[in-house]
Order: sequence, then C-alpha cells, then structure tokens
Amino acid sequence: MSAPTIGVSLRPERAYAAVVHGATAVPVEPVAPARNDADGVIAAAVAEARRAAPQGADAVTVDIAPVLLDALLRPDSEIPPVAVVRVVPRAATDPVLAQSPAAAVERRVAGRWTVGGGHDLLGNELRPLDRPGLARIAAELAATGIRHVAVVAAGSQARPAHEREVADAIQAAVPGARISVASDYGGQGLTAREATVVLDCALTPLAERLLDRCERTLARLPGDVRLRVARGDGGYSTPSRIRVTPVMAFGATDALELCGAAHLAGLDDCRVLLDRDGSPAAGEVRHRLAVVRLAEQPQLGTELVVPTAALTPEPPGSRGGDVPVIRAPHDQRLLACVGAAIARPASWLDEVAFIESADELERVRRDAEERATAMVMANGAAPGTTHIAEISTVAVPYSPSGTVRIRVRVAGAPDDTPAGR
Amino acid sequence: MSGTAGYLGAMASISAEDVPALYEGAKFYSPAVGDAGRSSVTSWLAGLLERNGPVPLMRVESVAPDTQCVAVCVLGSGSAMADLPPAGDEFVLAVRQIERLQKVRFGAVYPLAAATISALVPVVTAAQLGVPLLDADGMGRTFALIHHTAMHLAGVSPTPLVAVGPTGESVLVEVLSGPRADRMLRANVDTVGGWAALAAYPVDAGTLRRAALPGTMSRITNVGRVLLETTDPEALVTRLGAITGCRRVARGRIAELEHLSRQNDVTIPAHPSSLVVEETGGLGRQLRIELRSEIVAVFADGALIAGAPDLMCLLDVSRGALATLDSLEPGDLIDVLVTPADAVWYSPEGMEMVGLASHGIPLEHPRRR
Repeated sequence: MSAPTIGVSLRPERAYAAVVHGATAVPVEPVAPARNDADGVIAAAVAEARRAAPQGADAVTVDIAPVLLDALLRPDSEIPPVAVVRVVPRAATDPVLAQSPAAAVERRVAGRWTVGGGHDLLGNELRPLDRPGLARIAAELAATGIRHVAVVAAGSQARPAHEREVADAIQAAVPGARISVASDYGGQGLTAREATVVLDCALTPLAERLLDRCERTLARLPGDVRLRVARGDGGYSTPSRIRVTPVMAFGATDALELCGAAHLAGLDDCRVLLDRDGSPAAGEVRHRLAVVRLAEQPQLGTELVVPTAALTPEPPGSRGGDVPVIRAPHDQRLLACVGAAIARPASWLDEVAFIESADELERVRRDAEERATAMVMANGAAPGTTHIAEISTVAVPYSPSGTVRIRVRVAGAPDDTPAGR
Repeated sequence: MSGTAGYLGAMASISAEDVPALYEGAKFYSPAVGDAGRSSVTSWLAGLLERNGPVPLMRVESVAPDTQCVAVCVLGSGSAMADLPPAGDEFVLAVRQIERLQKVRFGAVYPLAAATISALVPVVTAAQLGVPLLDADGMGRTFALIHHTAMHLAGVSPTPLVAVGPTGESVLVEVLSGPRADRMLRANVDTVGGWAALAAYPVDAGTLRRAALPGTMSRITNVGRVLLETTDPEALVTRLGAITGCRRVARGRIAELEHLSRQNDVTIPAHPSSLVVEETGGLGRQLRIELRSEIVAVFADGALIAGAPDLMCLLDVSRGALATLDSLEPGDLIDVLVTPADAVWYSPEGMEMVGLASHGIPLEHPRRR
C-alpha cells in the first residue's frame, strides 16, 4: 500500500485535517494543549500518519480557499489595494462598464486607468499602444503609492505584447511592484480576466503568509513531508506556483468536497449532494475528478477564468440520470480534507485558435495537449503519468469560419521522487 | 397558474428587475454564446435602467403609424464582445448616424433579433435615447445573416445601416439588394474587433405592423422567468412547453464533438461542426446534432427528426440550465429541446432562406412530411 496522504482545510476559525490511507480516512483532532490552528493540526496529522504507516506521510495538501474568500469578503481584512490598468481601444463611456460588476472585486480596487491599445481574439492589433499615455499613467500610478497592479489587455491571450509592455513600463516606474497580467491565465471575457488578476494581486501577500507558515511547520516535523496546495479545479499545484498565481487556489473547497464524498463512497462517477446554507446543492464527479466549469462565483458576483466546481441548487427529487447520487454526510469539512488528501496534480488550458483544415485542427489540439501536459508536470505530476482528462474543441458561434475554442484538462500522478520535490 | 408561476404575459415596461429573466430567456432563443460577458452586460443594462428608469415596451399597433423606428443588434461574435466589452456609446452612435443621413428622429427602437445579447442591447439603446422599445423583432430567434428577417421577407430594406465597432470606428452600408449588406459588413466587423453595434431597417411603425414578429420581447422575458424558477429539468421542460411549444426529443450524453464535418460555406459565420450524443434510456439511439452558429439539424439513428428553422437548444440536465454551444463538453448529460419557430419561417420563402438546404442539408423538413 502506498504512503498515507494528508489533507488540510484552513478555515478562518480553525484548521481541519484528515489522513487518508487506502480506503481509510481518519479525521484528525489535536489533543490539548496542542492548538487547532494550521501548525497544531498539521503536526497532529503528521503524527497520525506515522501511526497509520511507519514511513509516515509523503505530502500534505492544503486547501487555503476558505481563508482567501473570508479575507476577500471581510471589509477590515489586511488585503492590499490594487491598481487596475486596462488596455482597450477606447475607455468606457458608462460608469458601470468602467468597473467590475462584482462589488467584492471593486472594493479592492484603489485606482483605475485605461491605456489605448489591444488586440482581437485572434491577436490582430486593434489600436497601436498609446505609449505617451502609458508614460503618463505609469508616473501617476507611481505617485499613488499603490504597489499591487493588475494589467489586462483585450486579446492578450492571443498576443500579449501590449500587456507586457504596460507591465514593463509600470515595473520600471514602480520598482518592487507586484504586477499580475491576464495573459498568464488565458480564458475569455475581459471582466472575468480582469477580476482574476485583481484577486491574484490582492491575495498574494496572504497566500505567501499562509504557505510560509505551513512550510515552516512541516520543516520542524520529522520526516520529509512536502506541501501541496489545492486548486480551484480540485487538483493540486506546488507552493511555488501558488505563490505567484494564488487565484488558482480560489474556490477549491467545493471540488474537494465532491471528490472526498466520491472517494468515501468508493465511486469514480457520481452526483454528490452537498449542504449549502441548509439547502442541497449538487455537483458531479467523473473519472474521480470534479466536474468544473467557468461559471459565475456566487460569492463574488462575477466569473473568473480559473475553473471551479459550479454547484447547482438541487430541487426535491434526485436526478443524475445514469449515475448514482450520494447525499454527503454533514461534516463537509472532513470531505474537503479527504478531497485534498487524494487530490492529483492538474492543469487547465482554455484558448481560441484559428483552423482551416482537419489537419490543422489536429495540430492545434496536439499543441494544446502538450502545453497542458507541461503545465501539469510543473504542478507536480510525475513524467509518464499524465493523461488528458478532458478535451473539447467547439466552433465559436458567429465568429469567422475556422475559429475554435479549445479547452484541455490534464491530470497526473504525484511525482514522489527526490527530483519531484 | 401553477405550471408557469413566473408567467406575466405581455409586459408594459422593462425595469432593472427584469434583466436577469431577459438574459436567460434571450439565451433560450439563441443558445450560441456562453456567459463570459454576462455580468458585464447585465450590470450595464441594469445600471442604465436604475438611472434612467424603466423602458416602456409597446406593441407596434399602439405606436403612431408614422413613428420612425430602427432595429439594433450585436453583429458578430458574443465571445469577441465578452473579451472587448462596449465602451457604452456604440449603439447610440450607430442610430444617430442614420438619423443624420435620413434627417429623421427615431421615435422607437426594436430588436433585429430578440435573442442572445441582441435582445438586451435594444433595451440599452432605448434607455440611452429615451424612446420606447417595440415588443416585436425581425427573427423571433437568431439566424446567421442580417437579411434573414421577417422585414426582408416583407420587402423592407435593411439599409441604410450603420455598424459601430468597439474601436469607435463605423461603417455605413447602402446596397440595392439586402443580401449584399451582410457580405459587405462581415469583413469590417472582423476588422473592428469581431463584433459591432448595428443599427438597421429604418422604417415607420405602420410598415412594421405587417413586417415584424409581434410580442417577442415579452415572450423571452416570460421564458426567462421560467428558467430562473427551478433547476429541475422535468419541471423546466413542462413549463417551457406551456409557453413556447417546445418538446424534449431525447436525453443523452455527449460522446464526441467533430469539426469541419460538412461542406463549409464561408459566407455564414462559424464552420460546420457536429455533436454525437448517446441517448440514455428510451430507444438508446445515437443522435447527431449538426451545428453552425446555432443548431441546424438533429438526426436520430440517421433519421432527421428536427431541423432549421425549428429552434433547437440543449438543456444541461445536471445543472438544470441551458447549455450554450461554446461550452459543450464530452460527458455532459443533455436534453435536446425543439421549439417551433414563428410561422413565417415555414413559408416557402422562409424555408428557402433559413431552412435546411441553406445549411447544405437538402432533406425535406420533418414538419412537411
């Protein structure tokens, strides 16, 4: 049997953990005087894993999403103010279009600027970058004292040149600025892409503090237990990746609870009913992965370009058609811990391409698969273990013939070798 | 009326509270585009309606016959619009250009197609101009080209028309023959960012009484109310059927998405693709769903069971919500819903313009057998 794995769910009020060893999942409760914060719970879980198997646990996967969400929604949290720079052909003429539709996002925005420029979805330039305007904005931004900057340019998924030039100019004007650029995430929709990089900037210091603390705790404990961080899609990534892209950890809990419930039920494919504020909400698991989508985040009021498990209110009378339905037990914190413990490295890619033949489509698909595979290995997958969990290519409606949207999801097995540490 | 608790019938105005239902109903009548731009567009419209007040929604018959009216819609890709949202003045700029050209003042706005984002932007335009919105449109759903309208069939010219892109650039088109307008516009739309605000079909209300499809804005809002009421697919299909005539022809899991699966006619946006669905339960049939920018035909074990101009859409059974064509994934469990289009599209002229043959499928329509 392989080594036990540990899943930890960091909540604002305390931390929870479970040790999973084969089909067994044991909730961990620190014994007084040990604390029930991250340090105490991780230490107790590592000790519990040693009791389960002499070699102890290989890894701890931590879900930091509840703490990130709490900090984002709490007005008095210590989240840094963020400056937003949009690169579009024209500035918005309507005040609503000039800002994020999500109050939780806009609350973190301390200043907004628009630079003329941008590309279309296929990377064709719509307007040359307004360099004199950029110079003025960089100087203004430097004078504000804001040090966290989100940059989003129209069409930067296809051609990031304008976005990078803006980021470089701001970095030069504001040394030490933490800049997040939308092209790092791909995806579609300026609003969703902008919200993603705003959260990315805003959550960086908090994510760093959380992960530093977890790593220090593990370093003090016996054995060589590595830290992993749960992603919104229910997979995991490395702490170093999440430190630079903390928004990838946002919204992980739902997917972890779905996978945890399926694991405890011994099912690879099922529909899971979770309790949400006293009402049932449903999600699905296919091939041991949570079904994830790019959907509006109910607590945020806007979409992001990182996928999460979109739960649906479940009306009376179960559905699911041809898959079994599980009503999850009440302690969903345990489910999140189990889901984290069994998480696998994962990656997701969502982009638009142009094809003129079936051969070209095949080439574009292969290229996307290869890049998503490289990403999953960067997230901690062992070479040779990766597989394409999902791939879809759809024609983009009302776009020029040949425009396709490609989404690829790749999963792998943990790289437990010393090289993978 | 327990089966359709959200049904309100004909509406007299559209307010900010109606926007979510308007959006969902508009998606039913054109399930092409996903929600990447949803929060941006709905917030914009709701903000306008809160600031400027509700937009009066008037039957064409209740407007003076000599009232000058203009149709507006989004031309091009919803995905492009999501990635490059409007600055906010594009639709008004397009309308004002036609006013200057024709030396008229438009007294009402109407949707060219009361479906997808194109159902929301006429409300935006009416709110910005301070004029009523007509409860009528040109398609009753969405078709691919701008002359695929009841107005065109009634002899109304789409031109002069103006398209204003998110870049602020504009194109004025005047043609002798309606079908040429679309061809002239497409290349320009790609150049200005993939979408443009279109103002077209300037015409008096008296002509629209015989040329436009009535009641379509009220209809989509009522459909949207039903869609927002429940996520139970059984209840949804029953309630939708009561107000739209839709029926479920199959339920199954998506097995495959294929591209360039038919002869490509590049004058129509989006290349042909196909969806293979394995029916769960029932007869266990294999469905083949032919796509363009909309669903154009549904085959079951090789037999045609529905086709354009029928409105065909997909319901994601797991979520109890409409599945848009740009978000389909193998493994999704879907209901295939078929709704009759407005009667004008089953006329010989309508069928010739938007029927199966126009999509390269030269088969007799199931409703004509």
